[in-house]
Amino acid sequence: MTAMAAAARRWRVARISARYEVSQPGRVTGVAVQLALQIFLMWCLWRALYAVSPTNSGLSEAQALAYAVLGVLYTRLRGPDRSIAEDTVAQHVREGRISYWFLRPLEPRHYHRLRAIGDQAYGFAWAVGGYLVCLLVGLVQKPVSATALWVFLVSLLLGQVVLYHLLAITDVATFWLVDNTGVIGIIAFAQSLFAGAIAPLWFFPGWFQTLSSWLPFQSSFHIPVSIYVGRIPAGSAARDLVVQLLWCLLLSLVLRWLWGRAGRRVIVQGG
Amino acid sequence: MNNPAIEARGLKKVFTPAIRQPGFKGTVRSLIAPEHAEIVAVADVSFTVAEGELIALLGPNGAGKSTTIKILSGILTPTAGEVRIAGRIPYQDRIANAHNIGAVFGQRTQLWWDLPARESFAVLRDIFKTSLADHARRLDELDGLLELSSFWDRSPRHMSLGQRVRADLAAALLHDPPIVFLDEPTIGMDAVVKEQVREFLRFQVAERGRTIVLTTHDMSEVSRLAERVVLINHGRVVYDGGLVELQQDYGSGWQIRVVVDDDAALRDVPGFLAKEGAALVFGGDDPGEQRRLVRLLTELDVVRNLEVRSDDLEDIMATVYQRRAVPVAR
Ligand SMILES: Nc1ncnc2c1ncn2[C@@H]1O[C@H](COP(=O)(O)OP(=O)(O)O)[C@@H](O)[C@H]1O
Ligand SMILES: [Mg+2]
Repeated sequence: MTAMAAAARRWRVARISARYEVSQPGRVTGVAVQLALQIFLMWCLWRALYAVSPTNSGLSEAQALAYAVLGVLYTRLRGPDRSIAEDTVAQHVREGRISYWFLRPLEPRHYHRLRAIGDQAYGFAWAVGGYLVCLLVGLVQKPVSATALWVFLVSLLLGQVVLYHLLAITDVATFWLVDNTGVIGIIAFAQSLFAGAIAPLWFFPGWFQTLSSWLPFQSSFHIPVSIYVGRIPAGSAARDLVVQLLWCLLLSLVLRWLWGRAGRRVIVQGG
Repeated sequence: MNNPAIEARGLKKVFTPAIRQPGFKGTVRSLIAPEHAEIVAVADVSFTVAEGELIALLGPNGAGKSTTIKILSGILTPTAGEVRIAGRIPYQDRIANAHNIGAVFGQRTQLWWDLPARESFAVLRDIFKTSLADHARRLDELDGLLELSSFWDRSPRHMSLGQRVRADLAAALLHDPPIVFLDEPTIGMDAVVKEQVREFLRFQVAERGRTIVLTTHDMSEVSRLAERVVLINHGRVVYDGGLVELQQDYGSGWQIRVVVDDDAALRDVPGFLAKEGAALVFGGDDPGEQRRLVRLLTELDVVRNLEVRSDDLEDIMATVYQRRAVPVAR
């Protein structure tokens, strides 16, 4: 009973950003239209590319199309745009409203985590919906095998955890980067690029793929989606799953450390 | 006697912001060997506030009022000194302390910008783990005092400033904190809402027994709400005591100008200073004497015109800031 009540309380905090969006039907429609348009254009683009030139990416046309379309859905995992509601960490720090976070019987980092999980879950629901539609109309192929599906699901879960930490780290970093929205934009772009969401990483030159393999971003998308389309065979994905797991651990340590510093910055330097 | 609600002893806060030189070189240098400025926001502040007392924390811009409030509410750790809020050290025991305090930092809302205020209240209820029944009862009372229901289905984005501040006051009090910090809550509001907020604060102190620390630049607000004021300047307490005593000690006194048909009898009344044109001018320092004179004059038939002038609180403040370089012991 009390556990239920506690869960209900967390749920109502977690859903705040989603409420911003669903309470404005215009925004929901806008997001849906934009997503559909992006998916369609991406699909057209990769169809056209495969029509003109053969590639040595190791991806068949169907694989590349699925990868690219899912990449568009991946961008939705960031959740609703909070900046419209003046509710990003950077905005709270800049306006001095972050003080209120320190006056509640809920640690700022726990509050932030609840909100971030809520945002991501909401984005995930959109991505799943979009995926099912794409599957139905044939823009995305089915998983190559039952094994691939299961390994993919595990990898997807790990990828979500990695993504959560990446987004949270970027968010907390804005305690220091407050006056630099440009930097935040560049980081967001780099995240998507190295994750493979802008174009499948298999098409990039070798040095780029090497660089990317040393970064955490591809764990959030490239690895699971490659397992899904069969470019990474499910049987030999163990190493990739371990890499994802390691990133989960490492990034959670980084996030902890950053929150410690951010908290100290507020209580010592006043935000 | 009970423990005081608020106890601040020897508070000091030094900020050390990094100095960033302009340009690329400056950015690089600030990364390699950052330079820090030293800003003493609060130099030495001590005072106590009893349970159920409202004090006004006053001082010119940059005096250190907001910094003091942030230390008292546990957001900032002091560089030196000690604070107890209802017996707890606020910046060490933040979670437990949260239930004891509420705060409004003027013009900065803690409500979620695009949620209807009532939903923000519900989120705060969940964060503070208030029971549904308590929440409903408190919200009902706050609605009665602040007339929230006419606009609480709106989001702060679509509220007027006055509505937003009222919603924020409600948000700060929903968890029923015995101690409330208000940093310029009424700044920029129109007179009607200001009066409503004053009435609200009076009620919270008189009927609910809350302890309130209020900073404001509105001296009429101070004179109507606070019996005791703490003045700080350059991070130090320069006056701590009654408002009436402050006016007595630092005011240049009272003055009465009166025009009468026949002034012969009045020239012997104590306090007479001079005759200026048709008017007799009286003055002095003792407010009791002033009251006696006003009573006397209003009973006379010969009075044609009567002007009573006391010092503006603002003038008094200015005098205090100038004269008091050293803090007072209380
Ligand atoms: N976070 C901060 N970093 C650096 N300096 C600060 C910070 N906060 C306040 N100050 C400085 O400390 C002094 C006192 O500020 P404050 O407490 O806001 O004064 P008041 O509220 O009385 O106007 C000011 O000179 C202000 O510029
Ligand atoms: Mg201030």
